Amino acid sequence: MNINQIQDEVREINLSYMMLAQQMIRSDKASAIFRLGISDELADLIDGLSPAQMLKMAGGNMLLCRFRFDEQLLLNLVTDYNKDRMMSQTHAAILMAGQPVEALAA
Amino acid sequence: MRNKSVVNEARDIQIAIDLINLGARLQLLQEETSLSRERLLKLYKEVKGESPSKGMLPYSTDWFMSWLPNIHSSLFMGIYQFMQKNAGISGVEALIKSYRLYLEQAEIPTEGEPTLSITRAWFLVRFFEAGMMQLTRCKECGGQFVVHTHELCEDYRCGICRPPSRAGKTKKAAGVESAVV
Repeated sequence: MNINQIQDEVREINLSYMMLAQQMIRSDKASAIFRLGISDELADLIDGLSPAQMLKMAGGNMLLCRFRFDEQLLLNLVTDYNKDRMMSQTHAAILMAGQPVEALAA
Repeated sequence: MRNKSVVNEARDIQIAIDLINLGARLQLLQEETSLSRERLLKLYKEVKGESPSKGMLPYSTDWFMSWLPNIHSSLFMGIYQFMQKNAGISGVEALIKSYRLYLEQAEIPTEGEPTLSITRAWFLVRFFEAGMMQLTRCKECGGQFVVHTHELCEDYRCGICRPPSRAGKTKKAAGVESAVV
């Protein structure tokens, strides 16, 4: 995979991610806030983006979404195949629900 | 209470239908909507095609403390509190949305009941509001888990980090395992 291919993929993921996020927020805002792990303000902001703005945002070469599993423990849980799989997923969900949301900087 | 607004009534009916579809008992519907018992009964039969089950509601707080129920109720309560804090919803709306998200996250097998029923979830919310139960942090994983208020939980370890020796070894689970082998 050369650098051009990677950048193409990044832009594609950006666009899918932004579109999916906007769709989720528009169909059910409260649940979208939980599923995406974002703040109320950020959800409103994404909701209000026009298609042109979304394209512009997605067109950069920088990935827009990032790992929510930014803790050692959480990462271990989700990737650990030795334990009973159902419980590790449930456990991860419990931990994720207790995590702070991604919010706009004040 | 007896204010007859058609818009409010339509809202109540929609809430009642959602709750019935999620498996709520009649008593819960009576508490959460201002519709009469007769209308709810009719609505229930129309949606489910059968009469609602009778008898007492499961109101024990101890149920939430056994192994699997505790994990499921902690998951539900975590979602519920997240929704209250971050999505700015409350009351019956928060109950319905959180319960749907719980069903989604808990990976309930297609046939068979979810471990935590909506009626129990509703009781759990009320127990929290009444200050009978609270969430406490597991010292090992940092997750929030349901415990009785004022329980000694200085050094709390959750049921997933430290499962009891017989955890998950029910007759049902054994049946599934032998079917796989």
